[in-house]
Amino acid sequence: MSHIDNDRPPYLGYGLGLRVEHYQELLDHPHGVDWLEIVSENYMVPGGLPLVWLERFRARFPLVMHGVSLSIGGTDPLDDGYLARLDALARRIEPAWVSDHLCWTGVQGVNLHDLMPLPYTEEALDHVVARVRQVQDRLRRRILLENVSSYLRFADAQLEEWEFLAAVAERADCLLLLDINNVYVSARNHGFDPLRYLDGVPVQRVQQFHLAGHEQGEALLVDTHDAPVPSPVWALYEAAVRRFGAVSTMIERDDHMPPLRELVAELDDARRLAEPLLRAAA
Amino acid sequence: MSSLQSMQLRLQQAVMAAAASSPPELVGDGIADAKTRLAIYRHGYRARLREALAGEFPALASLAGRRFPSLLDRYAEACPSEHYNLRWHGAGMAAFLRYALPWRERPAFAEAAELDWAISTCFDAADEPAIDAEALAAIAPDAWAGLRLAPPQHLQWLALHSNVDAFRSAADSAASRPHLRRRAQPRQLIVWRQGLTVRYRALEPMESALLAAAARGEPFATLCEIAAGHAPPGQAVARLAVLLRGWVDAGLIGALQPGET
Repeated sequence: MSHIDNDRPPYLGYGLGLRVEHYQELLDHPHGVDWLEIVSENYMVPGGLPLVWLERFRARFPLVMHGVSLSIGGTDPLDDGYLARLDALARRIEPAWVSDHLCWTGVQGVNLHDLMPLPYTEEALDHVVARVRQVQDRLRRRILLENVSSYLRFADAQLEEWEFLAAVAERADCLLLLDINNVYVSARNHGFDPLRYLDGVPVQRVQQFHLAGHEQGEALLVDTHDAPVPSPVWALYEAAVRRFGAVSTMIERDDHMPPLRELVAELDDARRLAEPLLRAAA
Repeated sequence: MSSLQSMQLRLQQAVMAAAASSPPELVGDGIADAKTRLAIYRHGYRARLREALAGEFPALASLAGRRFPSLLDRYAEACPSEHYNLRWHGAGMAAFLRYALPWRERPAFAEAAELDWAISTCFDAADEPAIDAEALAAIAPDAWAGLRLAPPQHLQWLALHSNVDAFRSAADSAASRPHLRRRAQPRQLIVWRQGLTVRYRALEPMESALLAAAARGEPFATLCEIAAGHAPPGQAVARLAVLLRGWVDAGLIGALQPGET
Protein backbone atom coordinates (compact mmCIF):
# COMPACT_ATOMS: atom_id res chain seq x y z
CA MET A 1 0.00 0.00 0.00
CA SER A 2 1.31 3.44 -0.89
CA HIS A 3 1.48 6.27 1.64
CA ILE A 4 -1.72 8.28 2.05
CA ASP A 5 -1.56 11.87 3.21
CA ASN A 6 -3.92 11.86 6.19
CA ASP A 7 -3.44 15.50 7.14
CA ARG A 8 -6.69 17.42 7.28
CA PRO A 9 -6.82 19.86 4.33
CA PRO A 10 -6.97 23.58 5.20
CA TYR A 11 -10.12 25.67 5.68
CA LEU A 12 -10.42 27.84 2.55
CA GLY A 13 -13.38 30.13 3.30
CA TYR A 14 -15.94 30.93 0.60
CA GLY A 15 -15.49 29.86 -3.02
CA LEU A 16 -17.14 29.41 -6.40
CA GLY A 17 -17.26 26.69 -9.02
CA LEU A 18 -15.06 27.83 -11.91
CA ARG A 19 -17.12 28.17 -15.10
CA VAL A 20 -16.01 29.34 -18.55
CA GLU A 21 -18.52 32.20 -18.56
CA HIS A 22 -16.65 33.92 -15.71
CA TYR A 23 -13.03 33.23 -16.66
CA GLN A 24 -11.87 36.76 -17.52
CA GLU A 25 -14.12 38.52 -15.02
CA LEU A 26 -12.79 36.36 -12.19
CA LEU A 27 -9.21 37.27 -13.03
CA ASP A 28 -10.10 40.96 -13.39
CA HIS A 29 -12.29 41.10 -10.27
CA PRO A 30 -11.27 38.33 -7.86
CA HIS A 31 -12.53 40.19 -4.79
CA GLY A 32 -14.89 38.23 -2.58
CA VAL A 33 -13.91 34.80 -3.92
CA ASP A 34 -11.51 32.95 -1.62
CA TRP A 35 -11.03 29.79 -3.69
CA LEU A 36 -12.23 27.94 -6.78
CA GLU A 37 -13.50 24.43 -7.47
CA ILE A 38 -12.77 23.04 -10.94
CA VAL A 39 -14.54 20.14 -12.66
CA SER A 40 -11.59 17.75 -12.95
CA GLU A 41 -12.60 16.16 -16.26
CA ASN A 42 -12.64 19.54 -18.05
CA TYR A 43 -8.90 19.85 -17.50
CA MET A 44 -7.85 16.21 -17.97
CA VAL A 45 -6.79 17.11 -21.52
CA PRO A 46 -3.42 17.03 -23.31
CA GLY A 47 -2.99 20.82 -23.71
CA GLY A 48 -4.43 23.98 -25.23
CA LEU A 49 -6.53 26.77 -23.81
CA PRO A 50 -8.15 24.94 -20.84
CA LEU A 51 -4.78 24.32 -19.20
CA VAL A 52 -3.55 27.84 -19.96
CA TRP A 53 -6.57 29.30 -18.16
CA LEU A 54 -6.14 26.83 -15.34
CA GLU A 55 -2.58 27.99 -14.72
CA ARG A 56 -3.77 31.59 -14.60
CA PHE A 57 -6.34 30.73 -11.93
CA ARG A 58 -3.86 28.59 -10.06
CA ALA A 59 -1.59 31.64 -9.72
CA ARG A 60 -4.44 33.65 -8.14
CA PHE A 61 -6.63 31.24 -6.15
CA PRO A 62 -6.41 28.08 -4.07
CA LEU A 63 -7.98 25.33 -6.19
CA VAL A 64 -9.84 22.12 -5.40
CA MET A 65 -10.71 19.37 -7.89
CA HIS A 66 -14.25 18.02 -8.21
CA GLY A 67 -14.84 15.04 -10.51
CA VAL A 68 -18.00 13.58 -12.03
CA SER A 69 -16.81 10.30 -13.57
CA LEU A 70 -14.98 8.34 -10.88
CA SER A 71 -18.01 6.05 -10.51
CA ILE A 72 -16.96 4.99 -7.04
CA GLY A 73 -20.14 2.92 -6.67
CA GLY A 74 -19.94 1.36 -10.13
CA THR A 75 -19.43 -2.36 -10.62
CA ASP A 76 -17.06 -2.10 -13.59
CA PRO A 77 -13.41 -2.18 -12.49
CA LEU A 78 -12.04 1.25 -11.62
CA ASP A 79 -10.71 2.91 -14.79
CA ASP A 80 -6.89 2.93 -14.54
CA GLY A 81 -6.55 5.42 -17.40
CA TYR A 82 -8.98 7.79 -15.73
CA LEU A 83 -7.19 7.53 -12.39
CA ALA A 84 -3.81 8.12 -14.05
CA ARG A 85 -5.08 11.32 -15.70
CA LEU A 86 -6.76 12.44 -12.49
CA ASP A 87 -3.52 11.85 -10.60
CA ALA A 88 -1.51 13.71 -13.26
CA LEU A 89 -3.80 16.73 -12.99
CA ALA A 90 -3.60 16.66 -9.19
CA ARG A 91 0.20 16.55 -9.36
CA ARG A 92 0.18 19.44 -11.81
CA ILE A 93 -2.09 21.85 -9.91
CA GLU A 94 -1.64 20.59 -6.32
CA PRO A 95 -5.26 21.14 -5.25
CA ALA A 96 -6.20 21.51 -1.59
CA TRP A 97 -8.30 18.35 -2.10
CA VAL A 98 -9.89 16.05 -4.66
CA SER A 99 -13.57 15.12 -4.57
CA ASP A 100 -16.18 13.16 -6.50
CA HIS A 101 -19.67 11.81 -5.86
CA LEU A 102 -21.07 8.88 -3.90
CA CYS A 103 -22.72 7.35 -6.92
CA TRP A 104 -22.18 5.24 -10.04
CA THR A 105 -22.13 6.60 -13.58
CA GLY A 106 -22.54 3.52 -15.77
CA VAL A 107 -21.67 -0.15 -16.25
CA GLN A 108 -20.28 -2.37 -18.99
CA GLY A 109 -18.23 0.50 -20.38
CA VAL A 110 -21.14 2.91 -20.78
CA ASN A 111 -21.11 6.34 -19.14
CA LEU A 112 -24.58 7.77 -18.49
CA HIS A 113 -23.00 11.07 -17.46
CA ASP A 114 -25.33 11.17 -14.50
CA LEU A 115 -24.88 10.69 -10.78
CA MET A 116 -26.83 7.47 -10.32
CA PRO A 117 -27.78 6.69 -6.72
CA LEU A 118 -26.79 3.52 -4.93
CA PRO A 119 -29.09 1.25 -3.00
CA TYR A 120 -28.17 1.76 0.66
CA THR A 121 -27.39 -1.89 1.39
CA GLU A 122 -24.57 -3.70 3.19
CA GLU A 123 -23.45 -5.12 -0.16
CA ALA A 124 -23.14 -1.65 -1.69
CA LEU A 125 -21.41 -0.36 1.43
CA ASP A 126 -18.72 -3.08 1.33
CA HIS A 127 -18.26 -2.46 -2.39
CA VAL A 128 -17.86 1.31 -2.09
CA VAL A 129 -15.56 1.15 0.93
CA ALA A 130 -13.16 -1.18 -0.90
CA ARG A 131 -13.10 1.09 -3.95
CA VAL A 132 -12.56 4.28 -1.95
CA ARG A 133 -9.52 2.64 -0.35
CA GLN A 134 -8.25 1.65 -3.79
CA VAL A 135 -8.61 5.21 -5.10
CA GLN A 136 -7.01 6.75 -2.04
CA ASP A 137 -4.05 4.39 -2.36
CA ARG A 138 -3.72 5.31 -6.04
CA LEU A 139 -3.92 9.07 -5.43
CA ARG A 140 -1.97 8.90 -2.14
CA ARG A 141 -4.50 11.19 -0.50
CA ARG A 142 -7.86 11.03 1.20
CA ILE A 143 -10.67 11.97 -1.15
CA LEU A 144 -13.97 13.74 -0.45
CA LEU A 145 -17.25 12.12 -1.48
CA GLU A 146 -20.37 14.18 -2.10
CA ASN A 147 -23.93 13.13 -1.31
CA VAL A 148 -25.98 13.24 -4.53
CA SER A 149 -29.59 14.22 -5.04
CA SER A 150 -31.50 10.98 -5.38
CA TYR A 151 -34.89 10.47 -6.93
CA LEU A 152 -35.12 6.67 -6.76
CA ARG A 153 -36.30 4.41 -3.94
CA PHE A 154 -34.83 0.91 -3.78
CA ALA A 155 -36.95 -1.91 -2.40
CA ASP A 156 -34.02 -3.57 -0.64
CA ALA A 157 -32.54 -0.48 1.09
CA GLN A 158 -31.27 -1.39 4.56
CA LEU A 159 -29.79 1.93 5.66
CA GLU A 160 -30.82 5.55 5.58
CA GLU A 161 -28.75 7.68 3.21
CA TRP A 162 -26.95 9.48 6.03
CA GLU A 163 -26.14 6.18 7.72
CA PHE A 164 -24.64 4.91 4.48
CA LEU A 165 -22.65 8.13 3.95
CA ALA A 166 -21.31 8.09 7.51
CA ALA A 167 -20.39 4.40 7.29
CA VAL A 168 -18.50 4.92 4.02
CA ALA A 169 -16.54 7.84 5.50
CA GLU A 170 -15.67 6.01 8.72
CA ARG A 171 -14.84 2.62 7.22
CA ALA A 172 -12.91 3.93 4.20
CA ASP A 173 -11.36 6.83 6.15
CA CYS A 174 -12.38 9.42 3.58
CA LEU A 175 -13.77 12.94 3.94
CA LEU A 176 -17.14 14.30 2.88
CA LEU A 177 -18.41 17.08 0.67
CA LEU A 178 -21.86 17.80 2.05
CA ASP A 179 -24.13 19.31 -0.56
CA ILE A 180 -26.73 21.16 1.51
CA ASN A 181 -29.07 21.57 -1.46
CA ASN A 182 -28.88 17.85 -2.21
CA VAL A 183 -29.76 17.03 1.40
CA TYR A 184 -32.80 19.30 1.12
CA VAL A 185 -33.87 17.97 -2.30
CA SER A 186 -33.54 14.35 -1.22
CA ALA A 187 -35.33 15.07 2.08
CA ARG A 188 -38.30 16.50 0.19
CA ASN A 189 -38.28 13.74 -2.41
CA HIS A 190 -38.04 10.93 0.13
CA GLY A 191 -39.95 12.46 3.01
CA PHE A 192 -37.25 12.57 5.68
CA ASP A 193 -36.19 15.34 8.05
CA PRO A 194 -33.05 17.07 6.67
CA LEU A 195 -31.93 17.97 10.20
CA ARG A 196 -31.91 14.28 11.05
CA TYR A 197 -29.62 13.80 8.06
CA LEU A 198 -27.19 16.46 9.30
CA ASP A 199 -27.22 14.95 12.79
CA GLY A 200 -26.25 11.58 11.32
CA VAL A 201 -23.13 12.84 9.54
CA PRO A 202 -19.89 12.73 11.55
CA VAL A 203 -18.65 16.28 12.18
CA GLN A 204 -14.94 15.55 11.77
CA ARG A 205 -15.45 14.07 8.27
CA VAL A 206 -17.03 17.12 6.59
CA GLN A 207 -14.49 19.18 4.64
CA GLN A 208 -16.65 21.13 2.18
CA PHE A 209 -20.20 22.41 1.66
CA HIS A 210 -21.96 22.96 -1.65
CA LEU A 211 -24.84 25.45 -1.88
CA ALA A 212 -27.08 25.53 -4.94
CA GLY A 213 -30.60 26.00 -6.20
CA HIS A 214 -33.20 23.56 -7.50
CA GLU A 215 -36.57 23.60 -9.21
CA GLN A 216 -39.95 22.11 -8.49
CA GLY A 217 -40.82 19.34 -10.95
CA GLU A 218 -44.25 17.79 -11.31
CA ALA A 219 -43.97 15.65 -8.23
CA LEU A 220 -40.35 15.95 -7.15
CA LEU A 221 -37.74 18.63 -6.55
CA VAL A 222 -35.03 18.51 -9.21
CA ASP A 223 -31.43 19.46 -8.45
CA THR A 224 -30.86 21.75 -11.41
CA HIS A 225 -28.11 24.12 -10.18
CA ASP A 226 -29.78 26.79 -12.30
CA ALA A 227 -31.22 29.14 -9.70
CA PRO A 228 -30.14 31.14 -6.64
CA VAL A 229 -29.91 29.33 -3.31
CA PRO A 230 -33.50 29.30 -1.98
CA SER A 231 -34.46 30.15 1.59
CA PRO A 232 -35.02 26.56 2.85
CA VAL A 233 -31.47 25.70 1.74
CA TRP A 234 -30.10 28.79 3.49
CA ALA A 235 -31.93 27.67 6.65
CA LEU A 236 -30.38 24.22 6.36
CA TYR A 237 -26.97 25.79 5.75
CA GLU A 238 -27.33 27.73 9.00
CA ALA A 239 -28.08 24.48 10.82
CA ALA A 240 -25.07 22.87 9.12
CA VAL A 241 -22.73 25.70 10.18
CA ARG A 242 -23.97 25.35 13.75
CA ARG A 243 -23.26 21.61 13.69
CA PHE A 244 -20.09 21.35 11.59
CA GLY A 245 -18.39 24.70 12.32
CA ALA A 246 -15.97 26.31 9.85
CA VAL A 247 -16.35 24.31 6.64
CA SER A 248 -15.19 25.63 3.25
CA THR A 249 -18.36 26.70 1.46
CA MET A 250 -19.04 27.02 -2.24
CA ILE A 251 -21.87 28.22 -4.49
CA GLU A 252 -22.41 25.73 -7.33
CA ARG A 253 -24.13 27.08 -10.43
CA ASP A 254 -24.18 25.19 -13.74
CA ASP A 255 -27.00 26.67 -15.80
CA HIS A 256 -28.81 29.99 -16.35
CA MET A 257 -25.45 31.47 -15.45
CA PRO A 258 -25.82 34.92 -13.89
CA PRO A 259 -23.16 37.65 -14.01
CA LEU A 260 -20.27 36.99 -11.65
CA ARG A 261 -21.30 39.83 -9.34
CA GLU A 262 -24.57 38.02 -8.55
CA LEU A 263 -22.73 34.86 -7.52
CA VAL A 264 -20.25 36.90 -5.46
CA ALA A 265 -23.21 38.62 -3.76
CA GLU A 266 -24.69 35.20 -3.00
CA LEU A 267 -21.35 34.11 -1.60
CA ASP A 268 -21.37 37.22 0.60
CA ASP A 269 -24.78 36.10 1.88
CA ALA A 270 -23.19 32.81 2.92
CA ARG A 271 -20.34 34.68 4.59
CA ARG A 272 -22.73 37.01 6.45
CA LEU A 273 -24.78 34.06 7.64
CA ALA A 274 -21.90 31.85 8.74
CA GLU A 275 -19.31 34.23 10.18
CA PRO A 276 -21.34 35.50 13.20
CA LEU A 277 -22.20 31.89 14.08
CA LEU A 278 -18.57 30.86 13.85
CA ARG A 279 -17.42 33.84 15.95
CA ALA A 280 -20.06 33.08 18.57
CA ALA A 281 -18.95 29.46 18.72
CA ALA A 282 -15.24 30.34 18.97
CA MET B 1 -22.86 -11.31 -11.30
CA SER B 2 -23.52 -9.66 -7.93
CA SER B 3 -26.97 -8.30 -7.13
CA LEU B 4 -25.51 -4.77 -7.19
CA GLN B 5 -24.06 -5.39 -10.63
CA SER B 6 -27.27 -6.83 -12.06
CA MET B 7 -29.32 -3.99 -10.54
CA GLN B 8 -27.04 -1.40 -12.13
CA LEU B 9 -27.28 -3.09 -15.50
CA ARG B 10 -31.09 -3.24 -15.38
CA LEU B 11 -31.32 0.37 -14.20
CA GLN B 12 -28.94 1.55 -16.92
CA GLN B 13 -31.00 -0.26 -19.55
CA ALA B 14 -34.16 1.36 -18.18
CA VAL B 15 -32.58 4.81 -18.37
CA MET B 16 -31.36 4.31 -21.93
CA ALA B 17 -34.36 2.41 -23.36
CA ALA B 18 -36.69 4.09 -25.82
CA ALA B 19 -39.75 2.84 -23.92
CA ALA B 20 -40.11 3.45 -20.20
CA SER B 21 -40.21 0.43 -17.88
CA SER B 22 -39.21 0.34 -14.25
CA PRO B 23 -36.86 -2.39 -12.94
CA PRO B 24 -38.31 -4.48 -10.08
CA GLU B 25 -35.77 -3.09 -7.60
CA LEU B 26 -37.40 0.33 -7.73
CA VAL B 27 -40.42 1.27 -5.68
CA GLY B 28 -42.61 4.32 -5.31
CA ASP B 29 -44.22 5.95 -2.32
CA GLY B 30 -46.84 8.57 -1.46
CA ILE B 31 -44.67 11.31 -2.99
CA ALA B 32 -44.07 9.76 -6.42
CA ASP B 33 -44.35 6.35 -8.06
CA ALA B 34 -41.31 4.46 -9.36
CA LYS B 35 -41.94 5.42 -12.98
CA THR B 36 -42.08 9.14 -12.17
CA ARG B 37 -38.85 8.87 -10.20
CA LEU B 38 -37.08 7.00 -13.01
CA ALA B 39 -38.34 9.53 -15.57
CA ILE B 40 -36.03 12.19 -14.13
CA TYR B 41 -32.98 10.09 -15.06
CA ARG B 42 -34.40 9.11 -18.45
CA HIS B 43 -35.09 12.71 -19.38
CA GLY B 44 -31.78 13.95 -17.96
CA TYR B 45 -29.77 11.34 -19.90
CA ARG B 46 -31.16 12.40 -23.28
CA ALA B 47 -31.07 16.12 -22.55
CA ARG B 48 -27.46 16.02 -21.38
CA LEU B 49 -26.17 14.08 -24.39
CA ARG B 50 -28.11 16.28 -26.80
CA GLU B 51 -26.81 19.48 -25.23
CA ALA B 52 -23.19 18.31 -25.16
CA LEU B 53 -23.25 17.06 -28.76
CA ALA B 54 -24.97 20.17 -30.06
CA GLY B 55 -22.11 22.28 -28.72
CA GLU B 56 -19.48 20.18 -30.51
CA PHE B 57 -21.03 20.14 -34.00
CA PRO B 58 -21.92 23.66 -35.20
CA ALA B 59 -21.34 22.92 -38.91
CA LEU B 60 -23.40 19.75 -38.72
CA ALA B 61 -26.15 21.60 -36.82
CA SER B 62 -26.27 24.27 -39.49
CA LEU B 63 -26.32 21.71 -42.30
CA ALA B 64 -28.92 19.44 -40.69
CA GLY B 65 -31.21 22.30 -39.63
CA ARG B 66 -34.42 21.10 -37.98
CA ARG B 67 -33.36 17.46 -38.43
CA PHE B 68 -30.43 17.98 -36.05
CA PRO B 69 -32.18 17.04 -32.74
CA SER B 70 -33.46 13.73 -34.14
CA LEU B 71 -30.03 13.02 -35.63
CA LEU B 72 -28.48 13.51 -32.18
CA ASP B 73 -31.03 11.22 -30.55
CA ARG B 74 -30.38 8.50 -33.11
CA TYR B 75 -26.63 8.81 -32.57
CA ALA B 76 -27.01 8.64 -28.79
CA GLU B 77 -29.17 5.51 -29.14
CA ALA B 78 -26.73 3.81 -31.52
CA CYS B 79 -23.52 4.93 -29.81
CA PRO B 80 -23.78 5.30 -26.02
CA SER B 81 -21.03 7.35 -24.41
CA GLU B 82 -18.02 5.37 -23.26
CA HIS B 83 -15.76 8.26 -22.28
CA TYR B 84 -15.40 9.93 -18.90
CA ASN B 85 -15.64 13.33 -20.56
CA LEU B 86 -19.07 14.01 -22.05
CA ARG B 87 -17.44 16.19 -24.70
CA TRP B 88 -15.76 13.11 -26.19
CA HIS B 89 -19.04 11.34 -26.87
CA GLY B 90 -18.96 12.89 -30.34
CA ALA B 91 -15.87 10.92 -31.42
CA GLY B 92 -17.94 8.45 -33.42
CA MET B 93 -20.34 10.91 -35.05
CA ALA B 94 -18.68 11.09 -38.49
CA ALA B 95 -18.41 7.28 -38.71
CA PHE B 96 -22.05 6.91 -37.63
CA LEU B 97 -23.23 9.32 -40.32
CA ARG B 98 -21.24 7.42 -42.95
CA TYR B 99 -23.13 4.15 -42.38
CA ALA B 100 -26.51 5.06 -40.86
CA LEU B 101 -29.56 5.72 -43.00
CA PRO B 102 -30.75 8.23 -44.07
CA TRP B 103 -27.59 10.26 -43.49
CA ARG B 104 -25.21 8.03 -45.43
CA GLU B 105 -27.07 9.18 -48.53
CA ARG B 106 -26.02 12.75 -47.68
CA PRO B 107 -22.23 12.50 -47.40
CA ALA B 108 -21.90 16.19 -46.54
CA PHE B 109 -23.30 15.36 -43.08
CA ALA B 110 -20.35 13.07 -42.29
CA GLU B 111 -17.93 15.63 -43.73
CA ALA B 112 -19.39 18.35 -41.51
CA ALA B 113 -19.07 16.10 -38.47
CA GLU B 114 -15.50 15.26 -39.44
CA LEU B 115 -14.57 18.94 -39.67
CA ASP B 116 -16.30 19.85 -36.40
CA TRP B 117 -14.59 16.98 -34.63
CA ALA B 118 -11.14 17.86 -36.02
CA ILE B 119 -11.58 21.42 -34.73
CA SER B 120 -12.71 20.11 -31.36
CA THR B 121 -9.77 17.74 -30.93
CA CYS B 122 -7.23 20.36 -32.05
CA PHE B 123 -8.59 22.73 -29.38
CA ASP B 124 -7.04 20.82 -26.49
CA ALA B 125 -4.42 18.74 -28.31
CA ALA B 126 -0.98 18.54 -26.71
CA ASP B 127 0.98 21.78 -26.87
CA GLU B 128 3.73 21.73 -29.51
CA PRO B 129 6.42 24.26 -30.42
CA ALA B 130 6.44 26.05 -33.77
CA ILE B 131 9.50 27.53 -35.43
CA ASP B 132 9.75 31.20 -36.40
CA ALA B 133 11.30 32.98 -39.39
CA GLU B 134 14.59 33.45 -37.53
CA ALA B 135 15.01 29.69 -37.30
CA LEU B 136 14.69 29.44 -41.08
CA ALA B 137 17.15 32.29 -41.64
CA ALA B 138 19.72 30.55 -39.47
CA ILE B 139 19.90 27.46 -41.72
CA ALA B 140 23.22 27.19 -43.53
CA PRO B 141 22.86 27.14 -47.35
CA ASP B 142 24.40 23.68 -47.70
CA ALA B 143 22.01 22.23 -45.06
CA TRP B 144 18.81 22.94 -47.00
CA ALA B 145 18.83 19.93 -49.32
CA GLY B 146 18.62 17.39 -46.52
CA LEU B 147 16.46 19.49 -44.20
CA ARG B 148 13.14 18.03 -43.05
CA LEU B 149 10.25 20.33 -42.09
CA ALA B 150 8.06 18.63 -39.52
CA PRO B 151 4.44 19.87 -39.25
CA PRO B 152 2.81 19.62 -35.80
CA GLN B 153 1.58 16.22 -34.68
CA HIS B 154 -1.98 17.50 -34.22
CA LEU B 155 -2.31 18.63 -37.88
CA GLN B 156 -5.35 16.92 -39.42
CA TRP B 157 -6.19 16.40 -43.10
CA LEU B 158 -9.70 16.21 -44.48
CA ALA B 159 -10.72 15.41 -48.06
CA LEU B 160 -13.99 17.29 -48.59
CA HIS B 161 -16.40 16.99 -51.51
CA SER B 162 -18.64 19.70 -50.06
CA ASN B 163 -18.24 23.22 -48.66
CA VAL B 164 -18.90 22.25 -45.04
CA ASP B 165 -16.11 24.64 -43.98
CA ALA B 166 -18.34 27.49 -45.16
CA PHE B 167 -21.09 26.14 -42.88
CA ARG B 168 -18.67 26.09 -39.96
CA SER B 169 -17.42 29.62 -40.63
CA ALA B 170 -20.98 30.89 -40.91
CA ALA B 171 -21.99 29.16 -37.68
CA ASP B 172 -18.98 30.55 -35.78
CA SER B 173 -19.63 34.09 -36.96
CA ALA B 174 -23.44 33.89 -36.67
CA ALA B 175 -23.66 34.59 -40.42
CA SER B 176 -26.45 33.30 -42.62
CA ARG B 177 -26.39 29.68 -43.70
CA PRO B 178 -24.60 29.15 -47.05
CA HIS B 179 -25.86 26.99 -49.90
CA LEU B 180 -24.50 23.46 -49.99
CA ARG B 181 -22.16 22.91 -52.91
CA ARG B 182 -20.66 19.63 -54.01
CA ARG B 183 -17.68 18.94 -56.24
CA ALA B 184 -16.59 15.76 -57.97
CA GLN B 185 -12.97 15.97 -56.83
CA PRO B 186 -12.29 16.48 -53.13
CA ARG B 187 -10.51 19.53 -51.75
CA GLN B 188 -7.80 18.99 -49.15
CA LEU B 189 -8.49 20.94 -45.98
CA ILE B 190 -6.16 21.14 -43.00
CA VAL B 191 -7.04 21.78 -39.37
CA TRP B 192 -4.35 22.83 -36.90
CA ARG B 193 -3.72 24.99 -33.87
CA GLN B 194 -1.55 28.08 -34.04
CA GLY B 195 -0.67 28.81 -30.43
CA LEU B 196 -4.08 28.59 -28.77
CA THR B 197 -6.17 29.35 -31.86
CA VAL B 198 -7.62 26.53 -33.97
CA ARG B 199 -7.42 27.27 -37.69
CA TYR B 200 -8.57 25.52 -40.85
CA ARG B 201 -8.19 26.22 -44.54
CA ALA B 202 -8.32 24.51 -47.90
CA LEU B 203 -5.08 23.85 -49.80
CA GLU B 204 -4.41 24.19 -53.51
CA PRO B 205 -3.03 20.96 -55.05
CA MET B 206 0.60 22.16 -55.09
CA GLU B 207 0.58 23.24 -51.45
CA SER B 208 -1.26 20.07 -50.46
CA ALA B 209 1.33 17.87 -52.19
CA LEU B 210 4.22 19.77 -50.59
CA LEU B 211 2.83 19.84 -47.06
CA ALA B 212 1.90 16.16 -47.29
CA ALA B 213 5.46 15.36 -48.40
CA ALA B 214 6.85 17.36 -45.49
CA ALA B 215 4.55 15.45 -43.13
CA ARG B 216 5.89 12.17 -44.56
CA GLY B 217 9.41 13.33 -43.67
CA GLU B 218 10.64 13.99 -47.20
CA PRO B 219 13.76 16.22 -47.35
CA PHE B 220 13.66 19.73 -48.78
CA ALA B 221 15.31 18.57 -52.01
CA THR B 222 12.31 16.31 -52.64
CA LEU B 223 9.93 19.20 -51.93
CA CYS B 224 11.78 21.16 -54.63
CA GLU B 225 11.23 18.32 -57.11
CA ILE B 226 7.51 18.18 -56.23
CA ALA B 227 7.25 21.96 -56.64
CA ALA B 228 8.91 21.72 -60.06
CA GLY B 229 6.20 19.26 -61.08
CA HIS B 230 3.42 21.74 -60.22
CA ALA B 231 4.81 25.22 -60.95
CA PRO B 232 5.48 26.84 -64.33
CA PRO B 233 9.10 26.47 -65.47
CA GLY B 234 11.51 28.59 -63.44
CA GLN B 235 9.00 29.47 -60.72
CA ALA B 236 9.17 26.41 -58.49
CA VAL B 237 11.72 27.70 -55.99
CA ALA B 238 10.04 31.09 -55.67
CA ARG B 239 6.60 29.47 -55.14
CA LEU B 240 8.04 27.08 -52.60
CA ALA B 241 9.72 29.94 -50.72
CA VAL B 242 6.40 31.82 -50.48
CA LEU B 243 4.60 28.72 -49.24
CA LEU B 244 7.33 27.96 -46.74
CA ARG B 245 7.15 31.46 -45.29
CA GLY B 246 3.37 31.13 -45.07
CA TRP B 247 3.66 27.83 -43.20
CA VAL B 248 6.07 29.33 -40.71
CA ASP B 249 3.87 32.39 -40.15
CA ALA B 250 0.85 30.11 -39.60
CA GLY B 251 2.59 27.84 -37.10
CA LEU B 252 2.53 24.90 -39.50
CA ILE B 253 6.18 23.92 -39.00
CA GLY B 254 6.79 22.44 -35.58
CA ALA B 255 10.44 21.52 -35.97
CA LEU B 256 13.38 21.54 -38.37
CA GLN B 257 15.27 18.28 -38.59
CA PRO B 258 18.73 18.45 -40.20
CA GLY B 259 19.56 15.82 -42.82
CA GLU B 260 22.21 13.18 -42.34
CA THR B 261 25.68 14.43 -43.24
